[in-house]
Order: sequence, then C-alpha cells, then structure tokens
Amino acid sequence: MSVIDILTRVDAICKKYEKYDVERLNGDNVAGDDAFARLYASVDLDVESALQKAETASQEKNRAAVVALNAEIRRTKARLLEEVPKLQRLALKKVKGLSKEELSTRNDLVLALPDRIQSIPDGSTNGAKATGSWTASASRTEIRFDSTSDGRFESEYFQQTEESNQFRQEYEMRKMKQDQGLDIISEGLDTLQNMAHDMNEELDRQVPLMDEIDSKVDKATSDLKNTNVRLKETVNQLRSSRNFCIDIILLYIILGIAAYLYNVLKK
Amino acid sequence: MATQDPDKLMAKADNLTKLSFTRWNADWRNATVLYEQAAVGYRFKKENEKAKEAFEKASKGQEMISSPWDAAKHMESAAALAKELGHWNEVSDFYRKASELYRECGRSQPASDALGKGASALEDTNPDEAVQLYIEACEILEEDGKEQMAFDLYRAVTSINVKLERYTDAATFLLRWGVAADKCNAVNSQCKAYLSAIIVYLYMHDFQQAQKCYNDCSQVGSFLSSDQGRCTSKLLSAYEESDVEEIKRLAQSSPITHLDHVIIRIARKLPTGDLKELKKEEDKAEEQTLDENDLT
Repeated sequence: MSVIDILTRVDAICKKYEKYDVERLNGDNVAGDDAFARLYASVDLDVESALQKAETASQEKNRAAVVALNAEIRRTKARLLEEVPKLQRLALKKVKGLSKEELSTRNDLVLALPDRIQSIPDGSTNGAKATGSWTASASRTEIRFDSTSDGRFESEYFQQTEESNQFRQEYEMRKMKQDQGLDIISEGLDTLQNMAHDMNEELDRQVPLMDEIDSKVDKATSDLKNTNVRLKETVNQLRSSRNFCIDIILLYIILGIAAYLYNVLKK
Repeated sequence: MATQDPDKLMAKADNLTKLSFTRWNADWRNATVLYEQAAVGYRFKKENEKAKEAFEKASKGQEMISSPWDAAKHMESAAALAKELGHWNEVSDFYRKASELYRECGRSQPASDALGKGASALEDTNPDEAVQLYIEACEILEEDGKEQMAFDLYRAVTSINVKLERYTDAATFLLRWGVAADKCNAVNSQCKAYLSAIIVYLYMHDFQQAQKCYNDCSQVGSFLSSDQGRCTSKLLSAYEESDVEEIKRLAQSSPITHLDHVIIRIARKLPTGDLKELKKEEDKAEEQTLDENDLT
C-alpha cells in the first residue's frame, strides 16, 4: 500500500469516529459557533506568547537580540490592541447556550484585555519619562563631548553611562589614531599621484619613439630577408654537384702530389 | 692595420690629402680611413691632443666624401677629447659643428643632444655659453615639434640660472617650459613649471610680478583647477596676509615637494625679506592709482 492510500484511509477512519474525539469536541464546543470565544482564545494565546518573549528578552545578554525581541513584542501588542474592539462587539452579541452571567463576564474579560496587553513588558516600559531622559542624555553627549551624563543619575543608568564613558574615550582615541594613519596614507597617495603623472608623461614621450623604432626594424627585417634569399640562391649555385665533384677530384690530385713530394723529400 | 703606429698612419693620410705636383686630387676616401685608425690609436694611447686632431681631420674627410653622419660623430668624439683637455672654446665650437652636421642629416634629436652635451660640459666653466647652447638645443627641438624632449634641457637651464642668481631669466625659462608642456599636453609638467615660476618671483621678493604671473597663468584652465594652482593661490594669500607660519607650512606641502630640487631649496628659504615692506609697496601703488583718479 502506498503512503497516499494510507493517508486517505486514516482520514476516512477519523471522520467516521469523529464523534468519539472528546478533546476536539470540547475544544469546538468551547469555541464552536462562538466567534467571540474563538477570537478570545487566539488573543489569549498571543498574549501568553508575548509574555514568554518578554521573559526571554529580560534574560538575554545580547543587546541586538533584546532589541529584536522587543520590536516583535511591540508589533504583537499593536495587533492585539486592534483586535480588542472586534472582541467587544462580539461580546455584546447574544449566543445561544450562554447564560447572562457568562455574557457579562465576557464583557469584563474584554475590558480587562487592553490593560493586560499594555502591561506586557517590551523594553520601553519603566515609564516613558525614564526613556525620555535616556535618549535626551544620549543626544546631549553626542553634541558636547566633554559633558558626562548630566541629567538624572538613576541607579540603573549610572552604570551604563560609566561604561559609555569608557567606550567614548576609547572611541576618541581610536579616531585620533585613525586620523594620523589617514594623514600618512594621504601623503603617500600624493607622492604616488605625482609619480603616476610623471610616468604618464614619460610614456607619452616614448610612444612616437617606439613607432619609429618599429618602422625601422620592419625595414631592417625585410632587407635581411631579401639578402638571405639572394645568399641562398648564390650558395645553391656554388654547391651544384658538378662543381662539387670537380672540387673533390682536384683535392685528391693535390693530396697525391703532396704525398709524392713528401716521399721524395723523406728519402 | 690597427696595430700600426698611429703616427705613421697620420703621415700617410696627410700625404694622401696634401695636394702637390704629383697629386691633383686629394684621395679623401682612403685618407679618412687612415685618419680614423690613427685617431683610435691615439685615443688608446691616451694622447688626447693628437687624437683630437686626428678626429678633426677624419671628420673633415667624411664631410668631403659627403657622409655628414659620420662626420658629426667624429666631431663629437673630438669635442669630448677637447673637454678632457680643457680647451673650452674648442668644445663649444666642435659641438656646434657636430650639431649642424646632424641637422644636415635631418636628424634633430642628435643635433640637440650634441648641443646638450656641450652645454653640460661647459656648465661649470662658462655658464653663459652653456645657457646659450641649451637655448639653441631647445629651439632645434621645438622647430621639429619634439617639445617633450626639451623638458630636461629646460630643467638644466633653470638650475644654471638659479645658481647664477639670474632669477628673472630662470622665471622666463620656466614659463617657456610651461608653453612647451602645453603643446604636448603635459598638464602636470605645465602646472609644475608655473608654480616654480611663481616661487622664483616670490624668492626675488617681487610680489607684483608674482601676482601678475599668477593672473596670467590662471587663464590656463588646467592650472587653475590643479593642485599646484590651489597651492599657488594659498601661497599668495599667505603673502598678502603676511602669515609667515602659513608660508612655511605651504613650503612643506606636497605640490611643492614634488618640484625640482633647485626650486624646493629656494621655496624652503621663503619668505625672503620683510613681508610688511610688501604691504607698504602695495599701499603706495594703490595711492598712486588714487592720485591718477583725482586728476581725471
């Protein structure tokens, strides 16, 4: 049996015995035709997950990760806040099988929701005041390099500004060193530019000379080729076999005469 | 044949060339060959005087058989020997003659090279003559459209003039150098030449001239927008404000350090004299113009 067959069979069996699925029935009943309950359940779930993220964010060491998590939480919060008015409308609708008390509880639940959502920590709480002061002092330190963190020395932030002081000092030292290095580099580049300009002019000077050399050498090579061809013809003429044989015979005769004379003289 | 005594070769050659009863036509061809061999022999033996004479005669012989190239070459050798002997007027004569012979061949580069060699030989002993030779060399090249090669000659002229403290001449030649550079589109050299000229004028403590020179050179767009042009304008404004520190700082800056070392030396000595005097001169000049306006 192939996988697809198995899957279709399982689906058919499940459908047949759906009515015995207690969990799902319960879940459906709770949500079921009740749009309010469904929506409320999903919002609840989101709030729970946001709270979990907030917890991980507060324990996170890496600042960048913290920032990312906080941003996510804020987005979820905004989305949930949008859903709250929908929930309110649904809460007021009458659904069959629901008692009056449950209706009122639903209303209360909906009202309590916005507060719950807002209370999810997303790194920008502890009062908008404190946030304001942190950003304000940050901008002040950007403008005036000499001032340390004047402003409130709130206990949490005192430590951070000490760190940032050190960081800033280091940053300024490094910047100075970089500036010195860059000055040296710029001097070197100036010299390089000057040399490059001079080389450019020199090469411009050489170009016509090279052209002259080129044409002269071409002429010389063609002369050489002509001469070689003529030489070849002449040598071939000289080496024609008749002359060669005559040369050998004459050579032998001379050797013979020389040998004869040698013999005569030896005696 | 080369191992023969050069004296004998010379005697033989003289015999061939001297016209006498038995000889109606001088045999220059063979004589020239003998003269050349004699000259080489003398040079080997380090008898410079005789070698020089032999080269002269060989050159004349080559002229007679109408090969000016070889004649010029022999003349140059004779001139080099004359330099070693210290006959300075002969040096300039020989080199001039060699240059003319090269021009006969239609080769301007060797002609100017010959004059250049003569000038450098005479730099120490007869600088005026040397300057003259350099100028002639530059003119030969410029006629032939080969200004690129003239740069080195201009540089040499400038250094001689500065050494002789003839600053106006030096500045004039620098401007001529600028013209030559312009013709062959060597922008960098041109700007450097102009900057050098202005520095020379400032060294002469002639601020008016320097200003005028700068205004003239600014007509050339490429100078105005170049590093050298900017440096010049800064230098002149520093002079106007009598800011000695600024002048010294600019003299150490990069456009000036890339100039010829002669110019760098005088730039380091800037500012010469009192800057306040310059201001007084300027004011006087301005007052004069005001008077003229009053009259009209």
